[in-house]
Parts: sequence; C-alpha cells; structure tokens
Amino acid sequence: MRIMDIELVIFMFMLTVMSLYFNFAISLYGVVAKVNLVKKLIALTILQDTINIFTVLVGYRLLRPGLTLQPPVVIDLNPTPEVIKEFVTRSVDPLPQAFVLTAVVIGLAVTLFLTTIVLHVSRHFKTVNVDEIGRLKRGYIHEEAV
Amino acid sequence: MDYVDLAFVLMGSVALLSVAFTFLAIRTRDLMNAVIFSSVQSIAYALIYFLLMAPDIVLVYIAVSVGIYPLILILLIKKVGRLEVTG
Repeated sequence: MRIMDIELVIFMFMLTVMSLYFNFAISLYGVVAKVNLVKKLIALTILQDTINIFTVLVGYRLLRPGLTLQPPVVIDLNPTPEVIKEFVTRSVDPLPQAFVLTAVVIGLAVTLFLTTIVLHVSRHFKTVNVDEIGRLKRGYIHEEAV
Repeated sequence: MDYVDLAFVLMGSVALLSVAFTFLAIRTRDLMNAVIFSSVQSIAYALIYFLLMAPDIVLVYIAVSVGIYPLILILLIKKVGRLEVTG
C-alpha cells in the first residue's frame, strides 16, 4: 500500500499535471487527424493554452505547510530587507507569467490570421474539408497541364 | 482538510473536468457545440491559472479565451457551415 502514503496535496498536483498531458495528447490528435479546418483551429487553441499552462508550471513553487496562498506581489510600499527575504522564500517566479501574458495576446493575433485564411479558403473552394481541398487542387493542376 | 488542501483538491478536479470537455470538443460533430465546450474548458483553465498564483494572466485570459475566440469562431462558422462532414 505504498500509494496511500502520498500526501493529498502532492497527489492532486500530479493529477493536474497528468490531466494537462492528456489534454495535450487529445488536442494534438485533433490538430493532426481531423479533416475540418475549423475543428483544427479549435484544437489548436486548446493546444496553445495547454502549452501556456506548462510554461506557468515551470515557475511554480509547490506550497509548503505554514505559508499562505499569495500572488507574487509585495504589499509594503517601503519594504525592509526582512520583508524582501520572506517574499523571496514564498513567492512564485513571475518571469514565465510575463511570457505567458505576451503569448496569450500573440496567440490571439495568430488565431485571427488563421481565421482569415480559413475564410478565404472556404470562399475559393466552397468547402473546408482538407481531403476535398486536396482533390480539387489536383483537379486544377491537371486542367492547367492539359 | 485545511485551506491549502482544499485549493489543490479544487485544482485537480477542475483539471479532470477540462480533460472531459476537451474530449467532447474534439469528438462532437456539431462545430457550434465544439466552440461552447472549448470555452467551458477555457473557464477551467482560468481557474487553474488562478490557483497557480497567476491572477494577472486570468484577467487577460478570460477576456481573450471566453470572449473573443468564441466570437470569431462563431462568425467563421456562420460563413463556413455548421456541420462537420467526416470521411
């Protein structure tokens, strides 16, 4: 019964990480295997958010008993060295959070761009099925050659 | 069960919920339902961000991922067609 000795906090944290791995796998399957371009786009947004959460997890510090849940900010306006030392021992790393904040906004721009591409593809070929689009393109190339 | 345990139990259960909604969003044939499942999964991710002590990301992420992504995807689905044809 080794598995019962794990603390509840560690177990729930590992459950979260495993769930994120499952989400990564499912959305990667959606990007690769689905034939509809809009469904590929939805799966791509989920994949992007999962990667962002992994980036935040790099800077996360697992809670120790006796410390309170606090975001990485100093509340004192004129902090003494003791306050700064206590802050460094308990706060998470804010640098990956700043990266993720940028990545969310850049991901919005990329998704708008891909949406425009899908809209133009659907106006040109009258479909968003990638198999159908490949067949139509082969037909066009054959007509050009003839 | 103290406050820290409660926060981590909430984080694990919300992560399991997000796996279920990701599976539904990839699996369903109706694209409008897929967008709604995807935005529910985004709400779960926002709660995970908050419990990972990144409250500044939550402020941006809620607006972008629950507001703007479904808006542009629903506008795209209105142009493209609602049902996904497999095959």
